[in-house]
Amino acid sequence: MPDPVSTDLPLSERQQSLLAALLDALIPASKDGTMPSAADVDFKYYLSTQAADFVADLTSILGRLDPAFSDLSLGERCEQLTKFSANEPQAFQNLLSRVFDCYYQDDRVRSEIGVVTGAVFPQGNQIIPGDLALLDPVIENASRHGYRKT
Amino acid sequence: MVEDVVDVLIIGAGASGAAVAWSLADTRMRIVCLEQGDWMNPAKYPSNAANWESQSFGPYNIDPNVRGLETDYPINNRDSDVTVVNFNGVGGGTILYAAHFPRLHPSDFKVRSLDGVADDWPIDYDTLEPYFAQNDCVMGVSGLSGDPMYPPKKPPLPPLPLGLVGETVARGFNALGWHWWPSDSAIISQPYEGRDKCLNLGPCMSGCAQGAKSSTDITYWPDAIRRGVELRTRCRVREITLNDDGFADGVFYYNADGEECFQRAEAVVMACNGVGTPRILLNSTSNRFPNGLANSSGLVGKNLMFHPVGFVQGLFEERLDSHKGPQGCCILSKEFYETDLECGFVRGYTMQINRGAGPLNTAMTGYINGTIPWGPDHHDAFRQRFDHVAAIGIIGEDLPEEHNTVTLDPALTDSDGIPAPKITYRYSENSRKLIAHGLARAEEAMRAAGAVDITSEGPKPVAGWHLLGTARMGDDPETSVVNHWGRSHDVRNLFIVDGSIFVTGGAVNPTSTIQALALYIADTMKKNLANLFD
Repeated sequence: MPDPVSTDLPLSERQQSLLAALLDALIPASKDGTMPSAADVDFKYYLSTQAADFVADLTSILGRLDPAFSDLSLGERCEQLTKFSANEPQAFQNLLSRVFDCYYQDDRVRSEIGVVTGAVFPQGNQIIPGDLALLDPVIENASRHGYRKT
Repeated sequence: MVEDVVDVLIIGAGASGAAVAWSLADTRMRIVCLEQGDWMNPAKYPSNAANWESQSFGPYNIDPNVRGLETDYPINNRDSDVTVVNFNGVGGGTILYAAHFPRLHPSDFKVRSLDGVADDWPIDYDTLEPYFAQNDCVMGVSGLSGDPMYPPKKPPLPPLPLGLVGETVARGFNALGWHWWPSDSAIISQPYEGRDKCLNLGPCMSGCAQGAKSSTDITYWPDAIRRGVELRTRCRVREITLNDDGFADGVFYYNADGEECFQRAEAVVMACNGVGTPRILLNSTSNRFPNGLANSSGLVGKNLMFHPVGFVQGLFEERLDSHKGPQGCCILSKEFYETDLECGFVRGYTMQINRGAGPLNTAMTGYINGTIPWGPDHHDAFRQRFDHVAAIGIIGEDLPEEHNTVTLDPALTDSDGIPAPKITYRYSENSRKLIAHGLARAEEAMRAAGAVDITSEGPKPVAGWHLLGTARMGDDPETSVVNHWGRSHDVRNLFIVDGSIFVTGGAVNPTSTIQALALYIADTMKKNLANLFD
């Protein structure tokens, strides 16, 4: 598992270890192996480029975790995070929104769920034009659907 | 020193300000528009970056109180069931709008005569029809002729793709025998007037990087400026001044450096929509108008109308590719548009089919409503929902009530010290019944379309896109602020061309009608130039 946070960010080695365990509990890898764990996406880049304002809150959250958090099983970590989410719902929601934001920008994740990677412009999307023959019943009932005369 | 006097001063460069400037440019008069915001830079719109979704929660948020740009002003919504959303910049609300572009119906202009409620407009659909058509051409509107719910009309461009979302919900409507039709959309489906067609990016409501969405900064304004209109940005108007003869003679405004400036004018046109226009009028007090300019009726700021909004989401087993394509433009149903007293309310609503959310929005909304957990079960739940959702938005008619108001907040101000607007608004019993009915019918449509899980909510609080009625038009100066062609009853060289002059709101997105009104008023001004102020 790569370091999720680079050393130039103000997180100690211990905090980085806690963060990796935290990310992996919030979004573990999928059972079929197609979706990576949140600990395997580039949270380092996300924090430094898009979420510098969140580092202080993140540090505070890491400081409130069980010191042994990174040694716990996935089930035990989820249990602790469930308590955290109940006790501090706002802080937890903010954390989760950052993790989701980072995770669903990742190219591997986006490819897997069918979303264009990187910026959506100028790539764009293809969608089917649709079958306008579906309008036939509306047209056949035009007299019933007609606009109200004034 | 020669005094700088312009012939026409327009306040606001949004939907209506752009249209009126473009039309009046024919006259070769000296026309200046003051806009408090900036020009937009499409290269900075969120869809140019991977984090296009999260940007829509921050710098491109629809709520100015959250967005908090220098060019925004705060709005006190604490006494309102609805939060006002807007955008301040060249293009105004069209920068962030969904570009859903239906017209008001003929019946919307006659609700007193037809249903015995509110008031009739002093003009009718036929009066505006040529201006609707003109506006469709200048903006670039995609749609399909033949909708039986309207008199004949011909959108200049073919409709946007229905996509799997549109087809799926359309089958539900068909199963119930209900009306539906491809939406008229101010998004170009083919190359048009030097602009390239829609790429189905998705996040229309945080600005269109492709330029396919018809915002007025790329439609009306370039041509208006080429033909001599001067547009000054970062100019925030504080008040309109009055001369001894009772004519508006200019405006005080603050420039980008916060310096107070004065611009003299022969005529003033307000185009700041249903909150901004009454705000400036109420702040323009004088001995003649101690309660605000053009307010002898006492109706400036009153009769504020939004459109109550409900929202129903259907989850489908099959993949609908629902995050792709214009968010708010797909198909719509007018099955319940007109009054049916058996429903227990008057007037009606539109059902507008919305496409689904992106991945971040899907995950966060799923967490909040309990359908997508974090942890080991996250992926399975996410896969079930993402791209498997279709949504129906209910947009209901909101009848005018004098107790729903825009006033000046006694304490809150913008960065230039100008009093901020305070919104006082409560949903009527009629609106609540109407939305409840709409939610139930939309759930019925989703079931008919094959949805396996349905959630609904409404009326929604952050839904104040449509800002109407606060300087209504009419023939009687005691019961209206402007006459049937937008001229103030009280101040004969003051015109209002935005959503504030709506008498009633209909049950459709109003931008098409706002711009048709602006073109109609501009045309009437041009026809009456010789005796404009008589």
